[in-house]
Amino acid sequence: MFQFGSPLDYLKKDLRLDLLDMIYQSGSGHIGGSLSSLDVLISVYHSDIFDFTKDHFVLSAGHLACGLYTVLASKNYFPKSKFSTYTSFNSILQGHIYAGVPGVEYSSGSLGQGLSFATGLALGDPKHTTICLTSDGEHQEGQVWEAAMFANKYKLGNLINIVDCNSFQIDGSTDDIMPLKNLAAKYIQFGWTVFTVDGHDINQLVKILKQSRKNIDYPICIIAKTILGKGISFMENNYKYHDIKNLDQKSYLQAKDELNR
Amino acid sequence: MNSTDNQSIRKAFGETLFKLAQTNSNIYVVSMDLKSSLHLNDFAKKFPHRFIECGIAENNAAAVAAGLAKTGKTVFLCSFACFSPAINWAVIRQSICYNNLNVKIVGSHAGLMTADLGATHQILEDVALMSALPNMEVFAPVDAYETQKITTVLSRSRRPAYLRLVRPDTPIINNFKNTFTIGKSQIIKKGKDITIIGYGPILHQALLAQEQLSLSKPNISLEIINCSSIKPLDFNTITKSLKKTGRLICLEDHQQNGGLGSIVATQILNSKLRPKFIHLSVNNQFGQSAKNYLELYDHYGLGVKNLIAAAKKLK
Repeated sequence: MFQFGSPLDYLKKDLRLDLLDMIYQSGSGHIGGSLSSLDVLISVYHSDIFDFTKDHFVLSAGHLACGLYTVLASKNYFPKSKFSTYTSFNSILQGHIYAGVPGVEYSSGSLGQGLSFATGLALGDPKHTTICLTSDGEHQEGQVWEAAMFANKYKLGNLINIVDCNSFQIDGSTDDIMPLKNLAAKYIQFGWTVFTVDGHDINQLVKILKQSRKNIDYPICIIAKTILGKGISFMENNYKYHDIKNLDQKSYLQAKDELNR
Repeated sequence: MNSTDNQSIRKAFGETLFKLAQTNSNIYVVSMDLKSSLHLNDFAKKFPHRFIECGIAENNAAAVAAGLAKTGKTVFLCSFACFSPAINWAVIRQSICYNNLNVKIVGSHAGLMTADLGATHQILEDVALMSALPNMEVFAPVDAYETQKITTVLSRSRRPAYLRLVRPDTPIINNFKNTFTIGKSQIIKKGKDITIIGYGPILHQALLAQEQLSLSKPNISLEIINCSSIKPLDFNTITKSLKKTGRLICLEDHQQNGGLGSIVATQILNSKLRPKFIHLSVNNQFGQSAKNYLELYDHYGLGVKNLIAAAKKLK
């Protein structure tokens, strides 16, 4: 199911199981993108390249919250026992990412704003790195390109935007809804340094993140090519699993079985 | 007061912020290509590293301001109100208010006072937009002096705020010795028959009406309250006045829906007060160009003659 080249690869399975349980128990959640972006989050948080007591992480695609919750709990920001409260009344684990959760700096949910927020952080804290995670569909928001222009103008070499490119959004493929064409070329035109990587290859992701940390005058965009619903066959590349409501028990058990293989 | 007494609220803002920035190195400006209009040229020249120019991109600017605020800065996000907060309201809602960050949104050119530029620039909905947001405070100075005071107070607050400014030079109404406190209003003219509340330089119209009514027979005495702190609102001062007068006129250069009149009407219905009430505001219409905003005030029912008619009706 998963490549085993990196010592972090065991997390791919463990955190996917956490994620599946959290969403199954809660009855809802954005599972497709959370599964596609999870290996990026593992690479960012578990590689020890960054020190998030000083560096910053902005989840611009706020609906990918449960993926980040599993990663933060695996880094002991809060206990896993909180997972069962996800989307419940009075829980810190909101349906979209929320700064009340230990380790989360920015509450979001409305797409397109996070990269701008990250540029503000990078400008205000030039000695540390700011990493932003956006989705490909999110790039249909014009504000992302306002931020791209801005980051170039201010030479924000301490800013990294990782794009979770799973090619799907809530109503279908990005090609059908609003083609994004060549995102890498667009970012290059906007004056960014661009890397393209298999977003499920932790070795490669870690290598590029290390390289990206070097102090240069240009913001960096990492295009992570990913698979929507990665790890659960019937969810992979199926936009119906952008988010789910009340996953039936049979599907849940099948998904669990596949992840455990 | 004649026109030679008029002073620029925008200039007072820009100059005050420049002065404050000399001793407070935490003050940043995020600009959207309107630094000259907000008198921020000196700030930009003296503090280039604290003057962040975003160009004509209000959505990005609002979230950049939020990100800067997250790193501990006090950020003034400066534009025309018809662009910021009007274009970037959803960004203000999420990135500034929901994240509860120290950004002051400064929206100039509000209301019909932006006479010649016409309806697109005469925003009449900004108080409604901003008052509705949790964590947001809303202020509108009555004149250049009060602008200095509010700007100074806001530079020391850590909360999100909206500061509504106007374009033309306007009369000095405020006593320079008065202090400004968040959540407090000021009685700028004591009276006993009718309470007039409002915010911004339109209150000068109420003073002119008061001068005429005090000479009429029988004379009508107006108590004029400057509600420059729109949110939080000093309802106590309004209540005290209404207990005396039992009559209320709310005057605002803003739409009727969602303005100060709506806010106060709700509070009144929640109380035991039942004053006679007239709301002088723009009623579900767009503005239009005019050489002088007084023509527009007359046309939309916000002028001195409208105030006098309303006062006579209530009396």
